[in-house]
Amino acid sequence: MSGVQVGKRIIGADAPVTVGWENIGRVEGGPIKQFVFTWFQPAVLFGLIAFWYYAPNEWALASIGIAIGLGFKVLLLGLEWVNPRYRSWQLTWKEFATDVFYVGLGYTVLRMVDAYIGDGVMIEAIQNAFDWEKFAWFTGLPLLLQAILISMIFDFGQYWMHRGMHNWYPLWLTHAPHHYITQLNINKGAVGNPVELFLIGLGIGGFFDFLPRAFLIAGAIGMAVSTYQHINVRFNTPRWWRFIFNTVEHHSVHHSQDYEATRSNYSGTWIIWDRIFGTCVDGEAELLGMEGGRRMDIAETMHFPFTEGYKSIRAWLRRRLQLPAATNHQPEPAE
Amino acid sequence: MTITLPYIDRIWRSEGEVRLPVPMSPEEAFPRLDPLFQTPGTTYHIDDDTLTYKKRNPAAQDKLATFTRGTLRVAQHQDGTARLRFNVSSTALLLCFLAPLLFLALGQTMEAVNAWEKAAEAAAPDDKDKDKDKASPKPELHPLDQWLGAPEPEDPAKKKDEKKDEGKFDPIPAYVLAGLFLAIYLVGRVLEPWLLKRTLRAALTPSAGDSSASVAAEALPFAQPQAEAR
Repeated sequence: MSGVQVGKRIIGADAPVTVGWENIGRVEGGPIKQFVFTWFQPAVLFGLIAFWYYAPNEWALASIGIAIGLGFKVLLLGLEWVNPRYRSWQLTWKEFATDVFYVGLGYTVLRMVDAYIGDGVMIEAIQNAFDWEKFAWFTGLPLLLQAILISMIFDFGQYWMHRGMHNWYPLWLTHAPHHYITQLNINKGAVGNPVELFLIGLGIGGFFDFLPRAFLIAGAIGMAVSTYQHINVRFNTPRWWRFIFNTVEHHSVHHSQDYEATRSNYSGTWIIWDRIFGTCVDGEAELLGMEGGRRMDIAETMHFPFTEGYKSIRAWLRRRLQLPAATNHQPEPAE
Repeated sequence: MTITLPYIDRIWRSEGEVRLPVPMSPEEAFPRLDPLFQTPGTTYHIDDDTLTYKKRNPAAQDKLATFTRGTLRVAQHQDGTARLRFNVSSTALLLCFLAPLLFLALGQTMEAVNAWEKAAEAAAPDDKDKDKDKASPKPELHPLDQWLGAPEPEDPAKKKDEKKDEGKFDPIPAYVLAGLFLAIYLVGRVLEPWLLKRTLRAALTPSAGDSSASVAAEALPFAQPQAEAR
């Protein structure tokens, strides 16, 4: 496989990846289907922003945001059924049950851990240690600007944490299980080792003071954009959208079986971060996963970072002890 | 090792039969099912009229991903027709059946932590709340938002009192998840045996030409050329 040169890198040398927008698939069907699957994403995004912008205070609650999020996921599951992107990503009963298990861990165990050692706790400790106030002047900005700032600041943190996971072996060990997924469905974002999910959830937004309504709008932007990262639906995504926002096309490249392709498209919501930092690869892929598409079960996902870490340390120690002192030891390349 | 627990094993085991569309001997039937077992992590052996298989962590799209072990037996019925009898078991169904217990336990843990936190809070001096109360004056909307008609923000001082009785963790999602897993289990217990029958029937039905190629494609979509991805 020859691959395609993108910047200094060759993408698609190990596994098939479509690079560029020219050859990606389009929605097949009549004009109504074309219309729905072209305008669905922008309509939902702007509809949700308008809803949270004008919702009365008694509606502007996190619980209503969660309820809308759940309803939205059910709707998207329906879309996956109606207009799948790839048949090879079709949701099965077992995949669905497995995905819900990881979603469940996020709502329970991770929440409990987060409450004690999450970013909120860390930021409060830092603020107390340095006697810092929050950057309160943010609350005086227009709501939409606040919301975009919240979303972009959080995604900026996620971008670098995610990029770090692909470039520093100890972090990679936590993230690797997520890359064993072999298909994208809306709940696949929750699939992974809990340590990774905890790390990727850390943000620096807590240093800033925003209006609660701005948080809800930011949450809506995140939901109406980043949920599509892992979705088995074919959309005719508008050009401006895929220039600014992350899409399933971008994220499928990130999850492809091609090693170089996985080292791209790190952001969760704003692909513009990848464009700025030179890691964006426009395109799409169908063949996903690691080790030729080996599926990782729940048990292995839970212990992988620790057992692999243990094996790596043991192998490193063995090499150190057996090699003559003069030998130049090459450290393992980062994944 | 096969565990036999009458009645209880129905949680994870499924038994049934598929009528063969045309009379077939085991030597004719099993090659038609062969593509279902030509997948990574699958081992099987045929002993006379019985095929025994085992799949270790099959691919997501494997047609037998849920029922990872079992036996298939070709039997002649009294009415002269042939049947494929299956007796298969599923670790996924068993784990799904047990999952509600895990989430109920997590819900209970959250309630226990809430109670413990409340007791600790009651015992500790109330300095923290005083600090919080003096902060955060009522925020003002930007003139642009006022002009666009966004509702005014609430006074944070008023909101604080309403929240006091809530615990640190909300156990409701844990209980909802327990219920959801019960529903997923029930759906799977009915749906998956039905899909298994459909898969077996499709594999055993002779089509124009020989069905083995089409069965192979059905069994593992990844085996198809990736034309769309290129």
